[in-house]
Amino acid sequence: MGEPPAFSKAAKLALGLAILVSVFSPLRAQAQSATLSGTITNPSGAAVTNAKVSIKNVRSGQTTEAQTNSAGLYNVPNLIPGDYEVSASVEGFAAGTNKVTLAAGATAKIDIALTTAGSSTAPPSLGDLGIPPEQAQGSAQSQQLLDKRSHMLLIHQRLGLITTAPLIATLITSAGAGGKSSSASGRELHATLGGITAGMYFTTAYFAVFAPKIPGNTRRGPIRLHRALAWVHGTGMVLTPILGAMAYDQRNAGEKVHGIAKYHSTAAWITGVAYGAAILSVSVRF
Amino acid sequence: MRTRLLAAFSILPCLLLAQGEHQWVLEQSTTTYQVSHPLHHTEGVSHAAKGKGVCHAGFCEFLIAVPVKSFDSGDSNRDLHMIQVTRGAQFPMVIVRTRLPEDAAASATIHADLEIQFAGQTVQYKQVALQRATQGTETRISGTIPAMLSDFKIDPPRLLSVPVKNEIPITVEMTWRPM
Repeated sequence: MGEPPAFSKAAKLALGLAILVSVFSPLRAQAQSATLSGTITNPSGAAVTNAKVSIKNVRSGQTTEAQTNSAGLYNVPNLIPGDYEVSASVEGFAAGTNKVTLAAGATAKIDIALTTAGSSTAPPSLGDLGIPPEQAQGSAQSQQLLDKRSHMLLIHQRLGLITTAPLIATLITSAGAGGKSSSASGRELHATLGGITAGMYFTTAYFAVFAPKIPGNTRRGPIRLHRALAWVHGTGMVLTPILGAMAYDQRNAGEKVHGIAKYHSTAAWITGVAYGAAILSVSVRF
Repeated sequence: MRTRLLAAFSILPCLLLAQGEHQWVLEQSTTTYQVSHPLHHTEGVSHAAKGKGVCHAGFCEFLIAVPVKSFDSGDSNRDLHMIQVTRGAQFPMVIVRTRLPEDAAASATIHADLEIQFAGQTVQYKQVALQRATQGTETRISGTIPAMLSDFKIDPPRLLSVPVKNEIPITVEMTWRPM
């Protein structure tokens, strides 16, 4: 039996790939903190006491809040360097916002002049457009879910492309594994390549099957064909090695391939064609 | 004398309407982004923009907002990927602000300075040429914003390891009506 060593090689390869993938995780850089301060004034230029000041990190969405003192001053230390949106609000006035980019170790001053609430001449706001705050407010958690999904699908895409190489090699070497000109070494090579293909295939499939699902997403377009074809080549990728192992045993016993094992070749070609079509379905516009 | 006074009073409301405080509302719109790749040319379309303009003291301030997830390219997988690379779950709106002199509404081509908030970045596009046409009380504005992925610090998505082009022109067609 030549199959166990072949699958063992495939398992090692799959394990190696899994380790390789897990190594590529982003490194976090530590940075010096920055300080932001400023004065909040009303339309007449007087300092506003107890105004609520929100400092939002544009990239992470994290918000730090502060309150102005009796001189209308606020001071927020220990901010991570980056782009920030500073907004100030107090009852009776329209909220004012400003933007600032904080460098590592910097101390920046952002003053905000509030305008009169309800003024018809105030610049339009998202609220004026009927957009509720929850719609305008993003979710870092949802973004992380999307990032993970895209990361896994990118690995799926790359591994899928790499897998075409052993798949094609397996199909090519099938000539030396069956038929009149076949030999034991030809069958061994074919079985080994088949094992590598199967190992890489199921590793590839793992990254698509276990990629996070996005709630409320309705599938449209070429991805539907891609998924339909996955059912064909997925089934084929299970059946083909089983039938191949049966054919391998029969040939090594000096028998002609018989029974369901004789469909090994047909299953393999259908699998290969469905696999190729699945790649093309999301790569080329027909 | 009486006739002149009557004429003056009849013209006055028109002048006030032209120079005084008034507002515009975005009636309908089509916003289209284009992405080019050697294997694909993709367009994503949204009709979900909301907008308002407030005119005062000779200037109009406009605000337009489009949900990132409202863009449809005909492929849900691509749309989700677009939302991911543009950090659309964290920054769900594309927000455009511009301030124009009121008399700009009289010319066929408006050159607008646009401030666009998208993907957690705020980018200024100076002197973007927009075409204006009036139909009854409605004003149609169309034009193309020469946006680039790098402007918004977006890594170009890749297909088969080949990145898309940096240029993502955004075409807008809007119909505004006075409130």
